[in-house]
Amino acid sequence: MLEHLELFFKSVFVSNMVFATFLGMCSYLAVSKKVSTAVGLGAAVIFVLAVTVPLNWLLDQYLLRDGALAWLGPEYADYDLSFLSFILFIATIATMVQLVEIVVEKFSPSLYNSLGIFLPLIAVNCAILGGSLFMQSRDIATIGLAFNYGLSSGIGWFLAILAIAAIREKIRYSNVPAPLRGLGITFIVTGLMAIGFNSFGGMLTGGDEGAKEELQQSAKTEEVKEDVKKELEKNEVSFNNVQNN
Amino acid sequence: MAINTEKNSYTVIFAAVMVIVVGSLLAFVASALKPAIKENQRFEKQQNILYAMGVHENSDAGSVNFIPTDKVEEAFAKHIKEQWVIQGGQITKDDTEAYLIDLKKQKTAAKEGRPPKLPLFVGEKDGETFYIIPMLGNGLWDAIWGYMSVNQDMVIQGVFFDHKAETPGLGANIKQRYFMDDFIGESIRKDNSYYGVDVSKTNNDPTNNDKVDNQVDALAGATITGDGLAAMVKATVRRYAPYLEQIRTEN
Amino acid sequence: MGLLTKKDQALILDPLADNNPITIQVLGICSALAITAELKASIVMGISVLFVLGVGNVVISLIRNIIPSKIRIIVQLVVVATLVIIVDQVLKAFAYELSKTLAVFVGLIITNCIIMGRFEAFALGNGPWKSFLDGIGNSLGYAVILIIVGFFRELLGSGTLLGFQVLGDPVAKTGLYALGYENNGFMVLSPMALIVVGIIIWVQRSRNKDLIED
Repeated sequence: MLEHLELFFKSVFVSNMVFATFLGMCSYLAVSKKVSTAVGLGAAVIFVLAVTVPLNWLLDQYLLRDGALAWLGPEYADYDLSFLSFILFIATIATMVQLVEIVVEKFSPSLYNSLGIFLPLIAVNCAILGGSLFMQSRDIATIGLAFNYGLSSGIGWFLAILAIAAIREKIRYSNVPAPLRGLGITFIVTGLMAIGFNSFGGMLTGGDEGAKEELQQSAKTEEVKEDVKKELEKNEVSFNNVQNN
Repeated sequence: MAINTEKNSYTVIFAAVMVIVVGSLLAFVASALKPAIKENQRFEKQQNILYAMGVHENSDAGSVNFIPTDKVEEAFAKHIKEQWVIQGGQITKDDTEAYLIDLKKQKTAAKEGRPPKLPLFVGEKDGETFYIIPMLGNGLWDAIWGYMSVNQDMVIQGVFFDHKAETPGLGANIKQRYFMDDFIGESIRKDNSYYGVDVSKTNNDPTNNDKVDNQVDALAGATITGDGLAAMVKATVRRYAPYLEQIRTEN
Repeated sequence: MGLLTKKDQALILDPLADNNPITIQVLGICSALAITAELKASIVMGISVLFVLGVGNVVISLIRNIIPSKIRIIVQLVVVATLVIIVDQVLKAFAYELSKTLAVFVGLIITNCIIMGRFEAFALGNGPWKSFLDGIGNSLGYAVILIIVGFFRELLGSGTLLGFQVLGDPVAKTGLYALGYENNGFMVLSPMALIVVGIIIWVQRSRNKDLIED
């Protein structure tokens, strides 16, 4: 449980897709003029990430990684198909995106119109492929964690685009120098936000498994100490009792 | 052209043909080039291990120069005396290809509860003995790895770090000479236990004169890579601690 | 240029300034931010994109009439990914050193939206020669911005250009450093790339008032 919580906060804040790794910038900058469209795209990204990361996790575990084909029989154990991971990950993502496109077109034509060419571009939104590749390179251990990772990275991206869209709506009423209006000021504001998000870097820098073990061990010794204390107190009590008698 | 590209049957056929063409093309390229790639990777590993124990061709103060690929095999055979494989507490010393052990696979094995194979190399140069430990960890974008050589007193004699895809100019600087050279002389022991080395932003010792603090100066703009690197060094040192202790107390 | 008609010239020259992929079309931002802390990496990335976009545009343009529109995104991605993977594998086998330098960029090239964006917007509707010119023009426009950003970030952040110390030695205090100049470490951090691009947009739009958004 703690593992899940840590991964969640880490992906939303510390290694935020937009502000820490600068992934998914193109659609982030281009579709953040209005809060309502930003929410739509953000939700689509959360959905696609939450679906594709676990899917690609399965592909990676049972098809791609070195020795992953061992479940077919021992003679397949030596195959290493990891050079195919780019193509397969992208295929999963593109299929999912096309599905989302069809669903959105059917149920919310207005959202479909405002998202315009950016729905297909979710497929190349580097945040999405980045999510799958990070999942692979960081060795996410279980499918539950993979789902958590996709979902929380999506939420991080959603937060970022929501924040910048809100700022851009407000900034329209400010007296920005004419050449900076629109894209220019958005770049600069994003830069400042990224500097702000850098300060999350000091949180949860963990990843040091051994340190965690040590922590648990020291916690255990403390428990032992508590026990000893209690024993001592008991003895003292009985000792006092004896004295009183 | 009279093809109706909107028909479902056409779409399916097109997709199938595309998958077959692309799949076989990639499989052909991959299998045709595999031997050459493997050979390159083998030389690279030998070069890296030798670099960590100080066998290199560095001429000036700033660059990293390996033993050239055509001489590396010879040098490797000359300097690396023993290759140990530690598995489940047992040390075997007769595997001559221990340096090809894939650390990532061993990590997975350890996770699944099988005893991992831990390689350790014993090198010799100018009458001195070096113990070289391979390492693997995570940076900001992808894997980072390296080799670290210590002497019998557990003082670092040299390191080599590399990375798959860290940011150029920031995290990628872990393979710069000035960063790697900072590790030389640091001890991996602290207060009689095996600790490792911290990558510190606040040690007030940017020129790294203090060699007993278990700290080297961090790289600007590479917090996550630096933390990942320190975590890698510490985890490895902890994993090897019982065997390193054996080496230290041997004589 | 007798070989190129006026229209062809426009295909190459427009993306260099008034229709720049980064500052106007908002394509390919991620990579522009990730790798511009060094001038050398910016140049390498520019050349790689030039190659992939030039060849990719031609391939897509050649098969544009037989691609089913329903799965065109997948087809486009597969073309880019295949190209990049093959180049990567060949380099690994025959030019290992070079491939290690480029390894960082493989993923960035595949997901670079400038490539998909140009496929979608141009190559699907135009012939191979025009698509080729469009690919060259756009990647040059992209490279120009990358090189400007990389130049300033490396110069102000590390005091070097292509790895050479052009402002003097910061440790021995020679050159500019003797006068009390210090490197601005902030410039090498990624957020500063955003701000530098913002300033480039500012300069560009002050010179050409037509580009100003309201």
